[in-house]
Amino acid sequence: MDLGIALSRPVRLDCRQDILLEASLRRRAELRRSWKGFVSAKTLENLGSLAPEIESSLSEQNAVRDWRPVATFAWIHCDASFSDCLRLIALAANVEYRPVDVRPAGFSLEDLKKRSLADRLTALCARYRCPLNIGIPSESDVAEELLRQLMVLDRTTLGGGAECDVDMVLLKLNLVGIRAMITRDLRMLDALNYFYELPRRLWTSLRANPRLLVFWLCIYAQLLRTPDWQQCRLP
Amino acid sequence: MQVAVIAGSISAGIRIAKEIEHIPGVDVSVVLCNVGMRSPLLRWSRELLLALGSLKWGTFTAKLCSYVRRGRVFILRRPLEDPTSIQYLRSLQFDVGLHAANVIYREATISAFRMGILNAHIGILPKYRGRSVAQWSILQGDPTGVTVFFIDSGIDTGGRIVLREFIPSKGCNDVEALRNRLFSCADRLYRQALEALGRPEFQFERNNISAGKRYYVMSKMLTGVVNEILSN
Repeated sequence: MDLGIALSRPVRLDCRQDILLEASLRRRAELRRSWKGFVSAKTLENLGSLAPEIESSLSEQNAVRDWRPVATFAWIHCDASFSDCLRLIALAANVEYRPVDVRPAGFSLEDLKKRSLADRLTALCARYRCPLNIGIPSESDVAEELLRQLMVLDRTTLGGGAECDVDMVLLKLNLVGIRAMITRDLRMLDALNYFYELPRRLWTSLRANPRLLVFWLCIYAQLLRTPDWQQCRLP
Repeated sequence: MQVAVIAGSISAGIRIAKEIEHIPGVDVSVVLCNVGMRSPLLRWSRELLLALGSLKWGTFTAKLCSYVRRGRVFILRRPLEDPTSIQYLRSLQFDVGLHAANVIYREATISAFRMGILNAHIGILPKYRGRSVAQWSILQGDPTGVTVFFIDSGIDTGGRIVLREFIPSKGCNDVEALRNRLFSCADRLYRQALEALGRPEFQFERNNISAGKRYYVMSKMLTGVVNEILSN
C-alpha cells in the first residue's frame, strides 16, 4: 500500500463522526448535571456578579461561537484585558478585535522555560492578551509546548496528587481549549477530556483560581457541542 | 552483526532472541536491565518461578541455559542510564540494540550501540508519534501498523526508519485486542528489520517529523469512542 494513499484515505467517516458526536453530547449532558460537584458553592460565590452567567452557561444549552476565521490572520489586537477577553470567549460572547499584518516577535520557549513560574504566567497572559491569538498558525510551537506540558508534566504531577502551579495549569487548559476551538485539533480537546476525568479529590486544588477554573469548564462545554472535528492538520 | 536484546524481563529477552538467532551473520545476546524500583534479582527470580507454571517451561529454560552457557546473557546491576552500565555496554561492542524494556533511552545509552537501538513502534511514522497512537489512528481513520526505526533521545523522532508494516484492525473488537495484535508483531518485525539491514542495497527512509504530530495518552471518553468504532 502506498504510504500517501494509506494515510489520506478516511475509513468509515460517517461512522466515526457520529460516534464521536454522540460521545461528546453525552459528556456535555454529564457536565451539565455534575459541574457543581467541581465548582463548590463557595467557589461560585467568589465569582460575584459573574456567577449567574457561569451557571447559565454550564447548566443550560450554552451558545457556541465559531472562532475558526481567526486562524486566517497574522495577529489580532483587542482593547479588552486578558481576563475580560477570556471571559467573553468562555461565555461565547463577541470579542471585538482588529486584525493586524505584523505579529509580535517570536516567543522563545527556551526563554520561557528559564523564567520563574510567576514570570511565565505573566509572559503568557501578556502575549495572549487576546487569547484567540493562540489559534493563529504562527503560534503552533507554543501551543504544542503547552499541550506537552499539560499531558506529560502536569498530568503526572496532578494525577499523582502532588502540588502544582494551579494558575499555570488552568491557564494552559484555557489556552489549549481555545486553540482546539479554532483549529479543531482533537488532541487539544482530549487534553481537556483527560483533566476533566481526573479524580474529583484532585479538583480541590484547582478551585484556588475560581475564574480560570470556570472559564475552562465553559470552554470545554462549548467544545463538546462542536460538531465538526477533523483530522489534525499538519503545519 | 552483534545484536543485543535490551530486555526488562527474561521471557521477553529470550523470546526475541529466539526469533532472530538464525539470521545469517547475526550474533544475539540478551541484556537484562532493571526497569522498576524492585530488586532485579527478586524480579527475575519471581519471573522464573512463574514460568514454572507455563507449559513451555522446558523449552524456555533450555534456551535460557543455552544462552547463559555461551555467555550471551548480560545483567546490568545498575540502571540503564548509569555511567557504569553505559561503560559496560560500550565494552560489549554491540552493533544494534533491540528495545524490549519499558524505558526511555538517554543519548549516552543509545551511542553505546554502534548503529543504535531499534524500536518497534505501534504507530505509523512519521505521522503518529507518542502515546496511544494505535487508538488515534483508528479515531482519525488512518491505517494501523508498526514502524521499526532507530531511536534518538526524543519521542519517536529518530531519523532512520528501517521498515513499516500496515496491520489491519479488522477483527479487533476493542483497543486492548488491537494493541495486542500490534505488539505481537514486534518480534517478527525486528527479525525482518535486521535482515533488511544486512542487505547491501538497503536504504533508510527518513523519519520526517514535520509530517506528523506527537500524540498523548487518550482520555477515557475518546478510548470509548475508539472501542465503539472497532466494534462496529
